[in-house]
Amino acid sequence: MINSARQQRLIDEAKALLKQGKVRWIIGFEAGSLKFTTTPLITADAGDTSRLVINSFIVNNLSNFLPELEGRIGIVAKGCDSRSIVSLIQDSKVRREDVVILAVPCSGLIDLAKVEQLIGKDRDEIDAISRKDDKVIVTLAGAKREFSISEALYDNCLACELPTPQEYDILLGEPILPSNEPAAGQKKLDELKKMSPEARWQFWKKELERCIRCYACRNACPACYCQRCFVEETEPQWLLPIPHWQDNLMFQITMDIHVAGRCTDCGECQRACPVNIPLRSLTKEMYDIVADLFHFKAGMDKEALPLMTHYEQEEAEDLIG
Amino acid sequence: MADKKINKRDIAKLPNEWCREFSVLVPSRESGTVAMTRWDGKDIGFLDWYRNTVVPPRDSFLPLIEEMFSFYKDKDGYNIELPPPKEQKQLIFGIRPCDARALAILDMTFNDGYQDPYYLGRRQNTVLVGIGCTKAYDSCFCTSLGNSPTDTTGVDLMLTDIGEDFLVEAITDAGKELLTTSSLSKATEADQARAKVSEETARQKVTRNIDIRDIAQKLRASFEDQDFWQKVAAKCISCGICTLLCPTCYCFDINDEMSKAQGVRCRSLDSCSFPIYTRMPMENPRTEKWRRVRNKVCHKYEFYPMLFDAIACTGCGRCIRLCPVNWDIIQIIESVPTGA
Repeated sequence: MINSARQQRLIDEAKALLKQGKVRWIIGFEAGSLKFTTTPLITADAGDTSRLVINSFIVNNLSNFLPELEGRIGIVAKGCDSRSIVSLIQDSKVRREDVVILAVPCSGLIDLAKVEQLIGKDRDEIDAISRKDDKVIVTLAGAKREFSISEALYDNCLACELPTPQEYDILLGEPILPSNEPAAGQKKLDELKKMSPEARWQFWKKELERCIRCYACRNACPACYCQRCFVEETEPQWLLPIPHWQDNLMFQITMDIHVAGRCTDCGECQRACPVNIPLRSLTKEMYDIVADLFHFKAGMDKEALPLMTHYEQEEAEDLIG
Repeated sequence: MADKKINKRDIAKLPNEWCREFSVLVPSRESGTVAMTRWDGKDIGFLDWYRNTVVPPRDSFLPLIEEMFSFYKDKDGYNIELPPPKEQKQLIFGIRPCDARALAILDMTFNDGYQDPYYLGRRQNTVLVGIGCTKAYDSCFCTSLGNSPTDTTGVDLMLTDIGEDFLVEAITDAGKELLTTSSLSKATEADQARAKVSEETARQKVTRNIDIRDIAQKLRASFEDQDFWQKVAAKCISCGICTLLCPTCYCFDINDEMSKAQGVRCRSLDSCSFPIYTRMPMENPRTEKWRRVRNKVCHKYEFYPMLFDAIACTGCGRCIRLCPVNWDIIQIIESVPTGA
């Protein structure tokens, strides 16, 4: 199904859900105010649904908004988002009967920072960016340039294990299979793993020195749903709100441990960071460790028990042995 | 007017000369983001790619972390030590008009009834050399706020791109004192004319507009309009980007870093987007995010005009460009109900 057709189908389905009273809210994407952006559309008004879009820039993990809203919700979900929804259901943050999942098979999202690097220009100067099969086509001053998707998609999209949601109510378009080259999404991690521990320590020191502690990484993350985060505790005060790099590191590591078994590698933490800290290198490492140690991948199996709430005797062999 | 000009090829001579007297800061990607960074004496390549910094130059006056004083306890009680005053003057080369104007707006707060010695100390110790914009981001809206891509408010010396040269214009006495290098030549009337064209061209590049007529009154009338504020706050994720990276935001928190009988009192930036910002022993008046979003908008467009007769926004667009959900203050301001 071509994009405009599935976008129209989304609009029709969302409108019908609201009009028939089957949901109170629709959460989807509409065109953003800047070039190559979209923005979350959260509405109870059927008239607004005509603004819904599906394109290569629907970056946000909208499941983040589910615990905030009251009533039944129709939500647009890519594969990674659907995994977060499943994970939220397993954690009893959301009830399955309260969500209508409008599933969008996703062939990966375009990373504007990578495109800027590739062409050596700011996004503001680009006329158009389009996607054709395994190519990303960038139009700059009238001239077209082609790049392979492995150069221009987000790392987490390249490593995506579930492009088409497993758990859904309405499927918009044909299912898409995972790429057979997930290694393309591991490049940054592989570089870091090759470093000596000292070099890696220096790397993270430099990266975390510019953290402004805006908590966008935490707030963009659907797995980070604590009503009161440990950084806001004052008795005891685990962490001062002064953004020294050591404390920033402490914050990141604690966050990673807290979302272990819930992180679906949606990449929102890194994308939200205003100062380009490569946070996915931490979260993906944790994701891989969880997969290795516990054979667990968040949101892939809705029958599975949440990782951190149960224990199986054979785990001990792996962990301690 | 006796303006000067300098050929773009010679531009490195300016900071080269200034760095004898000043600690020169220029836009740089060295830290991993774009920020004003101590000039290394060589690289002036920012002129090719620089539109604006991610971290506003406010950081050189009101830094993310500031050591206010250190203290220790001995047998006679507590002793306080102030940090040593910074002897060397600083010069920021390449500040954009929106960010220079932002400092003039911050001065209203820090140079008011309370005189903040940390902020003012740096302000008095710093010279600002502006470079007018030739390109805009699609989030820029400075022209709607009475500013312009080549505005000279707040800078000491202004450079305007006129093709092969920069027109160099001293705005203050401190700026005049910077005009000592032999690489400068006298600007002609034709250069002045080119600067006018450059200014107009830059203006045209700012494509977004915001109607700020009666905005303070409109906001006042809409303060209780919970439906409106809930709607505009719906997609906000309550992170601190739009405030911590805003050139006119200045809220800070004060904490002691202590171990045993000694420590450092630090102030660091805070954000009204965080629920904890207003948490008090008995209650928190802004637990819901729509109240925090409302405060942020009203502080800039209603409360600040009430206090200082100035809007605390310069149209730099960082809050739009850097927002993870594309929350757009222009759309919010434009949609404030008339209240009638």
